Amino acid sequence: MGLAVISMIVVLTSCAKKPQAEIDAANAAIEAARTAEAAAYLPVEFAALQDSLNAVMTAITAKDSKLFKNFNAEAARLAEITTLANTVAANVAARKEEVKTEVSGLLTSIKTVIAENAVLIPKLPRGKEGAAVIEQIKADVATVDAAVAEAQSLFDNGSYMDALNKITAAKEKADGLNAEVKEVLTKARIRF
Amino acid sequence: MRLKKKYIRIIMCAAIVIVVTVAGFVLASLIPDPPVEQVNAARIALSEAVSNDAHTYSKNLYSDAKSLYDSAMTSWQKENLRFIWFRDYSRAAEFAGMSEQKARQAARISRNNMTDLNILVGQKLEKLNHIAGQIDLRFDGYPLSSEVWSRISKGRMLLRESELAYRKGDFAQAKEKVDSSEFLLVDSYEKAIDHLEGYFASFPKWKQWVDRTIRESRQHQSYAVIIDKYSRKCFVYLGGIKKHEYNVELGKNWVGDKRERGDKATPEGMYRVVRKFGIGRTKYHKALLIDYPNETDKAEFRKAVADGTLPATARIGSLIEIHGDGGKGYDWTEGCIALTNEEMDVVYRIAREGMPVTIVGSTVSLDKLDE
Repeated sequence: MGLAVISMIVVLTSCAKKPQAEIDAANAAIEAARTAEAAAYLPVEFAALQDSLNAVMTAITAKDSKLFKNFNAEAARLAEITTLANTVAANVAARKEEVKTEVSGLLTSIKTVIAENAVLIPKLPRGKEGAAVIEQIKADVATVDAAVAEAQSLFDNGSYMDALNKITAAKEKADGLNAEVKEVLTKARIRF
Repeated sequence: MRLKKKYIRIIMCAAIVIVVTVAGFVLASLIPDPPVEQVNAARIALSEAVSNDAHTYSKNLYSDAKSLYDSAMTSWQKENLRFIWFRDYSRAAEFAGMSEQKARQAARISRNNMTDLNILVGQKLEKLNHIAGQIDLRFDGYPLSSEVWSRISKGRMLLRESELAYRKGDFAQAKEKVDSSEFLLVDSYEKAIDHLEGYFASFPKWKQWVDRTIRESRQHQSYAVIIDKYSRKCFVYLGGIKKHEYNVELGKNWVGDKRERGDKATPEGMYRVVRKFGIGRTKYHKALLIDYPNETDKAEFRKAVADGTLPATARIGSLIEIHGDGGKGYDWTEGCIALTNEEMDVVYRIAREGMPVTIVGSTVSLDKLDE
């Protein structure tokens, strides 16, 4: 009789296997979203994904502790998580492309402003070299150049978000500089 | 007999079923409870910690909570591998409990840190914007060194980057940028203020000159001109009352007194017009030549050469004028004072030879400049 009971228990406890394929697929999809920088571009969605996976894993482990196991519901939820993770990764790619386009546009436009400044600054009145205002302008030109180089490097390395912050501030500075130089030239009655 | 045997068999079977059922219930009741509630509570606490940015603002605690959660899950899964009645989930439950506690703590500390950072960065941004404003107000066109201007420029850029991060709610990055900006701006501002205070040490002397000039204008009911180098102003007085106020442009090294020829500095002192040059007699529209160098300037020059602060080959400057062709918006003269041609026409018309022209660093004390 004892043997019969033990046999029954063995049969009952091994009647369902963990949905390992689904677990692996969900993990891989979340890892892909992480690699795509979902934490930086879509942090809320990514956090929700991770929490969902943790919840399913808790449910699976809980069921694994029981005599009678059925992982159908968890397998279905894992499939949903995989789909959602793929969607998040796709959305990250789209958002990244938006930021990339924005940074690229700013880099192009700031380079135009810098090129214009490079033409305008030598037109500043003769004998003005060393004057305080020129020192200020020179300092600003160097700061903008350094910021653009840094932003370009971030952009080339795919750090579009960091590049965006850097280039936005640099663009404002370059535009301000352009307006200042034009004001000095206008006051000095020099055509540009 | 046969019937009796049948009853006995039925009773035996019933007894076996009852025993097996009871045994089943007894055995089932002996299976230890898995730590579902504790692990779920830890998971929810971790999720709340993430939504409170604990991974950024309470990094260590969050990291500890996460490790403890992973340990709970690992321990639980490991126990699941053991024979059902030999499982012990107490360690998993303990890890989960500790994880929950740390995660809640991380969330709370993160919220506090974010609030503190928000306030701190906000205050720093306000302070540094004020300093940037003061630099604009006090030092625009002031001949600070290129190194100081470079630091100010970098400081301003970092300040703007910090503001952008702050607006996005990224207080950690905003703090990093604002700290770098503070280092550059505050240091540069202090150096610039030291320089300015050094220059304004001559203010009591300047004030005496200005008071004497106005008094003379009042006593003789005559015109007098006062040049304020710091504010780039030319004040025309008649009978001790200010009648006109014009913007002027100076030599590019306008801070400090003129010391020698070619230093592009505008002298400071009490002078008088010695000659008037109308149209065609000066290349700057019209001009009023002043008596620089006067006896005081000559004595100071000789002393500087004698004590070696000026080389023996140095020559004293001359030909300092108030002239036209100004209005360019920057300091461009060799040490003269430039007005626009229209304003020069007015000053030229009222000027007589002997008219006082007092040139000072400032007519206003440093502490009243903000007003």
